[in-house]
Amino acid sequence: MLELFVYLLCGSILVSGILAVRLNSTLAAAVSGGLASLFAAVCYVMLGAPDVAMTEASIGSGLSVPIFLYAIRRTTEKAP
Amino acid sequence: MAEQILMAAAILTFLGVAFSVLRLILGRTVIDRVVAVDTLTVVSISLIALYAHVAGRSIYLDVALVYGVLSFLAVLAIARYLEQGP
Repeated sequence: MLELFVYLLCGSILVSGILAVRLNSTLAAAVSGGLASLFAAVCYVMLGAPDVAMTEASIGSGLSVPIFLYAIRRTTEKAP
Repeated sequence: MAEQILMAAAILTFLGVAFSVLRLILGRTVIDRVVAVDTLTVVSISLIALYAHVAGRSIYLDVALVYGVLSFLAVLAIARYLEQGP
């Protein structure tokens, strides 16, 4: 049963990655990239690595999305 | 009985994940997608807490705690970005 849940989470990571590539808005693409790291953190917890999951949660979702938004705001002239 | 209740909770949590991902795919505006991601964060925290009870290891609750604090900061940054907007 645990394997089924891990497979569902891996499918969600795939959907998030495909959305991050194919979405038109840069903000939505950055948010989808953060979502892929969210599902990866849950997947790490289910596979028995809580320290890796904590690092992934803090860096992948907590730090990278605001840095992406800061970069998008600094590099675009008008609306995103 | 307890196993059935836990299994029902897991299935309901994964239904929440499925519907939020559906909203993320179909979302008309950017704000819909951001709210879907915020909902997915809360659902993931509940998923980690449920798995911490199933596995019997309380160290997993620390991951859920860290995740709650940091997702709050990320959504705050997104809201500030949307407010300053065009």
